Amino acid sequence: MPAASQKPLELILARNLMSALSTPAFLVDEGGLLVFYNEAAGLLLGKPWEELGTVGAAEWGALFGPFDADGEPIPYDELPLVVAVRNDRPAHGDFEIRSTDGIRHQVEVSAFPIQTAHGSRGAIAVFWPAASNGSHG
Amino acid sequence: MKVKLWGTRGSIPSPGPETIRYGGNTSCVGVTLSDGSLLALDAGTGIRNLGLALPDEPTRLHILLTHLHLDHIQGLVFFAPCFRPQTEIVIWGPASPEASLRDRIARYISAPLSPIEVRELPCDVSFRHTPQAEWEIGPARIRAASVSHRGPTLGYRIDDGEDSLAYIPDHEPALGADLDRLEDEWISGFGLAHNASLLIHDGQYADEEYPNHLGWGHSSLSHALCFARRTSPGRTVLFHHDPMHSDERLDRLGEEARELWVARGGDADSIELGREGAELELRGAPTAAMAG
Repeated sequence: MPAASQKPLELILARNLMSALSTPAFLVDEGGLLVFYNEAAGLLLGKPWEELGTVGAAEWGALFGPFDADGEPIPYDELPLVVAVRNDRPAHGDFEIRSTDGIRHQVEVSAFPIQTAHGSRGAIAVFWPAASNGSHG
Repeated sequence: MKVKLWGTRGSIPSPGPETIRYGGNTSCVGVTLSDGSLLALDAGTGIRNLGLALPDEPTRLHILLTHLHLDHIQGLVFFAPCFRPQTEIVIWGPASPEASLRDRIARYISAPLSPIEVRELPCDVSFRHTPQAEWEIGPARIRAASVSHRGPTLGYRIDDGEDSLAYIPDHEPALGADLDRLEDEWISGFGLAHNASLLIHDGQYADEEYPNHLGWGHSSLSHALCFARRTSPGRTVLFHHDPMHSDERLDRLGEEARELWVARGGDADSIELGREGAELELRGAPTAAMAG
């Protein structure tokens, strides 16, 4: 019988931890695909994970941005989370994201790769409200 | 495939009149494959009796370690085949970024904890990190995967023809997770246990004991049953009994397990608590019980 599909343990544990945090947090797999965000992130985005599910880069950008200081969309490949998983290095950035109600939130993002004995498993990004201001419509 | 439970206890050996029926030896399960080759799952104190039961003749056997907590390796230096030059033993276990499997085991098989060193073992012993991909031992396909426990810890799945055994003796899949709601692919150990003929799984704590042991790496009775329900094995044996649980306490837990299992729609005969000395013969799914 073929093996049943299962996420790597490190992603499972990361998701379990993130589920218990009140800080918005996002998780991508080793291919850079967004596989989970927590309840706090759902509040920020205006859409809980359970309603969104796994999304690709194009859909993510269309839904939430993010946008740079000039209001230009930031390519998915340049997001700290994606940079972290692809380069196996921590990454940091600040940008705006747009929630489903149209409000833009300025955030700072720190992302770090999930390294294991078997190589990279993915990456985690944590969002913080930007120090300068909160959000605007 | 034939399975014998040589040690069902968790944490520390618990011999005595109050544990005589379920046993006091720590984790060890012997697996005889369809071609007669032998695997030992873990090397707790139960492996001593497994070794004594083996004939004194040239042989090759494999020991699959889930992790290196003492209750899973303590029997290694009392395993008679280790002291037979004509025996070849392959020890498999989890990789760690800290040190090789051999070096980590040598911390136990060395002074001051042991009178002998690994290099002094008369048998031909080798140590191998489990590969990420499935591999073969005799007629069986073996799979190892990391599971939720403290430190690098594996569960195993052994497929031999139509029979399949999932062995996950130390496992806390419900840590920070709601097993009833999670998607299958997000459940630790799911890929190992799904539709196995037999699942041997951690069931260390009674439900009321679990809150005081959160994060210790083991399951409550309800969590173990929930994991079994989600993964649908033909039969489930609860294992790694708490050293504080007497035979009478385990009888009551076994009865509670059956009631909960039936209440969830399960077959009362497909759930049981592991007893030291019990033998199970797998014939596809469900398994057939033999004398224990």
